[in-house]
Amino acid sequence: MGHLLFILPICFALIVLFVPKNAVRFVGLLGGLTTLVITIGLICTYNSANGMHYFVKQDWIKGFGMTMHFGYDAISLLLLLLTAGLIPLILLSNYKNELASNRLFTSMVFFMQLGLAGVFVSLDGLWFYIFWEITLIPIYLIAYWFGAPERKAALLKFFIYTFVGSIAMLAAIIGLKSMAPSFAYMDLVNVALTDKTVAFWLMAGFFLAFAVKIPIFPFHTWQPDTYAKAPMAGTMLLSAIMLKMALYGIIRWLLPLFPEALETATYGIIVLAVIGVVYGAVIAIKQNDMKRLFAYASLSHVGLIAAGLFTATVDAISAGVLQMINHGLVALGLFLAVDVIERRLHTRSLSDLGGIAKQAPKFAFWFAALAFASVSVPFTSGFIGEFLLLKGIYNYDWIIGAVAGTTLILGAVYTFRAYQLSMYGPVNTAEFADLHWSEFVVFFIIMVIIVVLGVYPAAIIDFVKPSVSNLLELSSISTSLVK
Amino acid sequence: MTVQQLIPLIIALPLLGAFINGTFGKQFSKALVGAIATTVMAISFLFTVLVFMQVQQGDAVSVKLFTMLKTDSFSLNAGFLADNLSVWMALIVTGIGTLIHLFSIGYMKNDPGFYKFFTYLNLFIFAMLILVLGSNYFLLFFGWEGVGICSYLLIGFWYGDFKNTLAARKAFIMNRIGDLGLLIGLFLLLAQFGTLEYNELAQKVLVEKLIPSDWMILGITLMLFIGAIGKSAQIPLFTWLPDAMAGPTPVSALIHAATMVTAGIFLTVRSNYLFEASHLTQDIMLYVGLATSIIAAFIAMRQNDIKKVLAYSTVSQLGMLFVALGMGAYTAAMFHVTTHAFFKALLFLGSGSVIHAMSDEQDIRKMGGLRKMIPITHATFLIGTLAISGFPLLSGFYSKDEIIAHAFTHGTWLYVALMASAALTAIYMFRLYFVTFFGSFRGTHEQEHHVHEGPVAMTLPLIVLAVLSVFGGLLNLPGVWLHKQAHWMTHLFEQNVAGFTALPKHAENPNLALILMVVAGAMSLLILLVTYLVYGKKGSLPVADEAVTGWEKLSKNKLYFDEIYNFLFVRPLEWLSLKITQFFEGIVLHRGVVGLGQVIGKSGDLVRKWQTGRTDSYLLWMVMGLVGLVVYYLIYKN
Repeated sequence: MGHLLFILPICFALIVLFVPKNAVRFVGLLGGLTTLVITIGLICTYNSANGMHYFVKQDWIKGFGMTMHFGYDAISLLLLLLTAGLIPLILLSNYKNELASNRLFTSMVFFMQLGLAGVFVSLDGLWFYIFWEITLIPIYLIAYWFGAPERKAALLKFFIYTFVGSIAMLAAIIGLKSMAPSFAYMDLVNVALTDKTVAFWLMAGFFLAFAVKIPIFPFHTWQPDTYAKAPMAGTMLLSAIMLKMALYGIIRWLLPLFPEALETATYGIIVLAVIGVVYGAVIAIKQNDMKRLFAYASLSHVGLIAAGLFTATVDAISAGVLQMINHGLVALGLFLAVDVIERRLHTRSLSDLGGIAKQAPKFAFWFAALAFASVSVPFTSGFIGEFLLLKGIYNYDWIIGAVAGTTLILGAVYTFRAYQLSMYGPVNTAEFADLHWSEFVVFFIIMVIIVVLGVYPAAIIDFVKPSVSNLLELSSISTSLVK
Repeated sequence: MTVQQLIPLIIALPLLGAFINGTFGKQFSKALVGAIATTVMAISFLFTVLVFMQVQQGDAVSVKLFTMLKTDSFSLNAGFLADNLSVWMALIVTGIGTLIHLFSIGYMKNDPGFYKFFTYLNLFIFAMLILVLGSNYFLLFFGWEGVGICSYLLIGFWYGDFKNTLAARKAFIMNRIGDLGLLIGLFLLLAQFGTLEYNELAQKVLVEKLIPSDWMILGITLMLFIGAIGKSAQIPLFTWLPDAMAGPTPVSALIHAATMVTAGIFLTVRSNYLFEASHLTQDIMLYVGLATSIIAAFIAMRQNDIKKVLAYSTVSQLGMLFVALGMGAYTAAMFHVTTHAFFKALLFLGSGSVIHAMSDEQDIRKMGGLRKMIPITHATFLIGTLAISGFPLLSGFYSKDEIIAHAFTHGTWLYVALMASAALTAIYMFRLYFVTFFGSFRGTHEQEHHVHEGPVAMTLPLIVLAVLSVFGGLLNLPGVWLHKQAHWMTHLFEQNVAGFTALPKHAENPNLALILMVVAGAMSLLILLVTYLVYGKKGSLPVADEAVTGWEKLSKNKLYFDEIYNFLFVRPLEWLSLKITQFFEGIVLHRGVVGLGQVIGKSGDLVRKWQTGRTDSYLLWMVMGLVGLVVYYLIYKN
């Protein structure tokens, strides 16, 4: 059934190009939901006791060392589920936009889904790289075709950043392969890197690619510009799903592949990630453009996840996965809230807004609920995720943990500033239609999942924990080979 | 029904009320909304009484619902613990909560957000019950943050005025500073003991004597205390509470006087065996509490907003409670928490009744002579004032006296300082009372015409609370009365609350206790007399804002705490935010990347000609890019 993860998006990406314009939305939603059903099916049939489940495992180009290894464990499945779940939501949240009935756009979204699915199931270094690069094409095109008029400079910056990162990763994959029989994941993991310098540079190659995409400070400057200039659907894809590729990459590739190098590098990386947490939050405090504001907020939130992952403990990584899901939902919801405002008023700058709560009470409620979810209050999934991540970082180094903890305070500052300036105060706008049913449904679904996970986080944590333990064992095996 | 069944119901009922009113309240009539919200509270209170009767003499009962999260090193459970401490707090929360819900039906009856108000209020009770009844620190933190949200929503309830939403944000953020401390405290506890369950912790500390190193226990208790500072509005995190008066008055009564702000006290009492192990933290707590108590009382002296006076009074009383906790007088603190909940809720609701009668006027300089116009409010407000001022034989007299007696054995200077704080309390409270209710009416004609007593829904809670304020002292009569029920509450908390029996008991000297009581009572009476002469008989009035000078100006301007914080924290942070955006983000990083882009663009052109589709040429590309970068920087820098 795993093959369907590739086949379905390809089919729908092609089909949608040839259906009548007024059917595009429905075909889009249908495609998204079909993939979602398949993914849920995979999760139901997955048995965590078996560890990694390969659905394709054969050699391919022997001389070159490239294999056809595709498979998944609980971590991959959850990210596949996140992708499959968010894509229909993204399509639905753009239901009212012209974009949703655009064939190219919908096709690109499926193209993107193909790439993402590939990233999450590739167990071969080259395939991972290929799919990683494939995702770049649809997002670039979506931003290029449908973005704001002055998008070109921002896109160039985005491209340069990610390109440099990708090239570095490719080099590292090839470098690693030179010491292994093939590009297969297990072969690469089993490479014993005896030379510390080599190990460090190979690790750095992967790290650069991931650090740009996450992004980790100071590799983030593409992010606010790109987010601001991309169409809202592009921003949603980027922040809700795409950056999870890099976090996934850390878990799947960086940690098991380079335990030796990370022994020395971890501290620095965590410090950078935590600087990003505070840095993004501090900048968000005075932003006027809501989209930029939430872009910096995203930088802050994701930095915390990254820092937690690098502590390389079962608890922190499991919490990291939970928090990835949470961040995907919250980011999607917040950007939708911004889009709701922008669609109606054609501005998203806080200085022009005010008093929307009076005009659109339903929207005010859902936006407020998301704002609370964003600051990780109890009964939202972010609460437990943040609790465990901070605990992990705190146990790693208490000073870094305490600094990272300031996100609790700063997050409340910028989130409520944004909410209050836009929703309260004097009414600055003539008219504001309350939520369309499609927007309502998206908000509702997001919040239901957030609250369910907030009350019963064990649903995710218990599911993902065995896989995380296996993964960390992999990394300790290759370390012990060195010693 | 057994305790195991009742406890989840007690907690679920307010949530149910919130859910019903939140979802369908808009279609319901106001009477129905109010009835639903108040009924669930009343039933919840009844159940709490049932639980109390069963738990009171027996063992503590724990109820485990489900495991929220299990990791290798620890597990977080959704479970509840009913012992005399938690159930006592639940009694206060649901009991006072019911009365305030009832009061709100009358007070909020003309508000368009009626159903929302009751939704939030029910939700608050739900979170507060989780806070007090949870069986571990994690659930406490759950409720702790939960009440913070409800507090935020209710302070900013009238969001039409942007100032109110700013006050709400301030409260939330200041609370979060404390929350961070509490969170770190929990991490430390987990790292040290591997559990957050109260039972297991008490077992480890008290029975197995697994007391961590001095530094560790200091860290744990200090962090918990920082959490308490935030929630219970102590220096330096107290300035949010007076601002929180922006919320509707029932909210001030329920959240910002009777229940939520005492969560810090509850946390400390709950963790008493930890605090007993760190005398340094206890001392810090004592000094912080004392400073807060006196400073807040000083500021309250020259406030003219009826609610602001009460707010600073709350801060001051909370400070006194922390002095008690710092001395290890946990029962005395809980006693005062209880009586304070009675009379402070009474005073706030009374002020609400006054504001209601005065058509939303809050400045006492524009009131006056209300004594005859709203007699029930007047009588109950008087009782509240007497109770808080330590008028002999009223509840506040006993509870405050117990703290002061502890202070006397602790050190004479502390006794004097606390007496000073108590004296200030009596002075500003009587000033408030006389200026509001005596003299002649100073409002507009329209207001005068409109002054009226509220409906029964408002007066009934006032009367009940007034009765409680008078007789609340019976809960823990001192031994000097040689009454059979002497120290009832002390015995109660020794029954099944972990840690209390291990504490050293103060041998009470009946003569000393009596003398201290007489002194305190005499002081209260003397102040009553003097303030009556000044404000009641002579009719002195607070002067206009511009005319105040000297210490009065300091008091009126709240010792400039807000301005100082603004200068020290808010503005530097905003400055930093702007500067980082402009300089670091804009210039350093942006220019660096654009430069990089130019180099890569150029090297890309070159490489494209050699592109063969083989991976090694990509490598070359990358190397050239890197070399180009280095060269570029060398040139750029020179």
